[in-house]
Amino acid sequence: MGVGRKIRDWFDVRIGLDEFTRVQFREFRVPGNCNVFHTLGLVTVIAYMIQVITGILLLVYYVPHPDFAFKSVQEIMNTVSFGWLLRQVHVVGSSLMVIVVFLHMASVFFMGGYRKPREMTWVVGGLMFLITLVFCLSGYLLPWTQLSYWATTVVTSIPTAFPYIGDFISRVLRGGDYVTGITLGRFFALHVSILPPLFLFLMVLHIFFVKRTGLSTPPCGLSSEPQNPWTEYRRETHPDGYPFYPYFFRKEIFMGMLYLTVMFFFITFFPMLFLPEEANTPADPLRTPSQIRPEWYFLVPYQMLKLVPNKFIGITLLIALVAVFLSWPFLDTKKEPNILKRPVLKAVFFLILILLAVLTLWGHYR
Amino acid sequence: MRYLLLSLLMVISLPVSSLAGYREEFEREFLSKPWAGEQVEEDACIACHVAEKMDPKFKNIPQSWRMSIHYQHNVSCHDCHGGDPKDAEMSMSRQRGFVGTPKYAEVPEFCGKCHVGILRNYLESGHGKALKSTGKGPNCVTCHGSHKEEEYIKKANIDIINERLCSKCHSYERAKIMKQALFLTEKKMGELEEGFGRLKAEGVYVEEEEKGLFNIQAEFRTLFHTVDVSLVKDRTDEFAKKLEPIETKVKNTLRELRFRKNFSAFIMLLFAGMGIVVFILSKPPRE
Amino acid sequence: MKRRNFLKVLLGLLGSATMVTFAYPLVKFLAPPEGESKTRKLVVKKSELPMGEAKGFTFNNVPVIVINRPDKGFIALSKVCTHLGCLVTYEKAKKILLCPCHAGIYDIEGNVVSGPPPKPLQKFPVRVEGENVVIG
Repeated sequence: MGVGRKIRDWFDVRIGLDEFTRVQFREFRVPGNCNVFHTLGLVTVIAYMIQVITGILLLVYYVPHPDFAFKSVQEIMNTVSFGWLLRQVHVVGSSLMVIVVFLHMASVFFMGGYRKPREMTWVVGGLMFLITLVFCLSGYLLPWTQLSYWATTVVTSIPTAFPYIGDFISRVLRGGDYVTGITLGRFFALHVSILPPLFLFLMVLHIFFVKRTGLSTPPCGLSSEPQNPWTEYRRETHPDGYPFYPYFFRKEIFMGMLYLTVMFFFITFFPMLFLPEEANTPADPLRTPSQIRPEWYFLVPYQMLKLVPNKFIGITLLIALVAVFLSWPFLDTKKEPNILKRPVLKAVFFLILILLAVLTLWGHYR
Repeated sequence: MRYLLLSLLMVISLPVSSLAGYREEFEREFLSKPWAGEQVEEDACIACHVAEKMDPKFKNIPQSWRMSIHYQHNVSCHDCHGGDPKDAEMSMSRQRGFVGTPKYAEVPEFCGKCHVGILRNYLESGHGKALKSTGKGPNCVTCHGSHKEEEYIKKANIDIINERLCSKCHSYERAKIMKQALFLTEKKMGELEEGFGRLKAEGVYVEEEEKGLFNIQAEFRTLFHTVDVSLVKDRTDEFAKKLEPIETKVKNTLRELRFRKNFSAFIMLLFAGMGIVVFILSKPPRE
Repeated sequence: MKRRNFLKVLLGLLGSATMVTFAYPLVKFLAPPEGESKTRKLVVKKSELPMGEAKGFTFNNVPVIVINRPDKGFIALSKVCTHLGCLVTYEKAKKILLCPCHAGIYDIEGNVVSGPPPKPLQKFPVRVEGENVVIG
């Protein structure tokens, strides 16, 4: 008997490995009309894991104090062997992760995967998206560059639009009236020890919901009869679909490879795309650079606040939109599962995508 | 259900939005900060000197200043001429240190308030001694210009030594020899500055090296102000040697950057290759 | 079927190449740095620095000045001005350090008194051991 077989038998006798792999991987089936967008969930997990691993390794050399933060990052980039590789992966990976999370969300929305009985999955996923943005915000301050310092100053000033509590929120975020070493300490604690377990917990919950309810069937290509109403728990098993392993698993690995290829494409050909000149100058609280903008994923709320004539309405609008986004499964009561047969919703969806793109570009090129 | 939620949102937001006090606070915190895009310039000197009523010979000054190297380094009117830039009434007051336009022979001390080392060398030089003893001779403005008419003060460079300027008082011969002595080292320093520019564009932080180069440049140019040809010729080599370690560092860093690009390109190709293989493998086999 | 086997072998090869390409940098990243950790110390005889006097040295490629302050003992400061990098000079009579490039003035603690420098001069740790002053 081969060595591999022997090892598998050793585990099988103790934890029933064979039965586990059979049920979870070979007999688990995915819907027949499953397309590549279904793989985005796993790509998000891969992206997150890459951030965690590179983040932990960067933690070995990074010093979270305003007098040493910038220098330690420069040392990582120039002195430590291959430190540049880890930092670049972490920086590029953070932007790519936001994109992947967004694509995953948009495709789930488009395929109606949030509908009953999957509302909780959507809400948990939405919270994970928001936490990803907080990750990006807190991580951005850590290198303590001109860009970090001033972009953080801008973003932590936004809550002041709220009456009474706005000022308090800003002061709690910053640890004072200005961005200082206290802010760095808070953001570091948030980025490294508060958000990761929270995100992990939500991720486990999210995956649990997905597996427990079963993968949703994309409505494309199916007959247009509405689904049987859900009145009691059952798990969708897709007996007509493909086995997860090897077919869908290979698709997921392909998407993972594609993600990594795109990441290294950016690192090779555009290494300074996310690191403009101000990102290589140490923070100087006395000198404001002429053009300060938040990072690209915050340009939408930033530009919106600049456009709406009354700033308080602007912030309320933002909060309202986030609330609508999180609670969408409860607000969408139409029975038709196929978005292609709902022209209003389809139009709204594409309009929102175009609006987000326009706001981002506008905020960038102003 | 959704109507309930939407109407709750509207009901809450209406009375809250009627509270106007925080709006000023938000505008103060968020909109009127420099990074919100609204710059506020409070310089009383500039305000008068660009006004319509100003005498034409003074009106050009702010524009000329804005082209100068002093402007690029945030050195403005009061830093040299004194006075109070925030208060129009006291902007030209002797109490606030206003000195006005320096007289011809006092220009070196005027500029030497900041450019201390150069003043020292100048006063010991032939040019300085001539000016102090006879009242005639080149002062700083003769070679470097000022904010008069079409002139502006540029960053120092070797072409300030030229036939037109230097032969006003004596033959160009000595100046030419000095320029030749300075030329190679100046060229090397220019190349190093270019190298730094390239490194910065690739994201390398070079402030320490830039400081080292600036120090050598400053010493080198201060040396020139002695206008002592033999001294300059002797010490030029010394400076060239000082530049060598910086040159090596720049070269090594550029090499390292090329290695990084190749390494990450290699990794990218590995992943792309694996992606393609997995893609082909993932097609269901023809049954 | 033969083509599939070939592809699987190819995948294995590429996969192991990738793992090696990442394992090597990872090991080098975590390995302790070579050589740099030993900080050389600069030893100066007390007798070379009478009260109020200062002397320039080079310490780890940085030009430093060691001053024997009248009431507070020895201090070692970097001579590199924090403005643009020129080297400061010690003016004993006025008890200041003056940068000749743009008249940046520091006191003998290294703090900025006037002029364009944005930060104080870098300080180095100083200990007195018997007849010697040890920097670093």
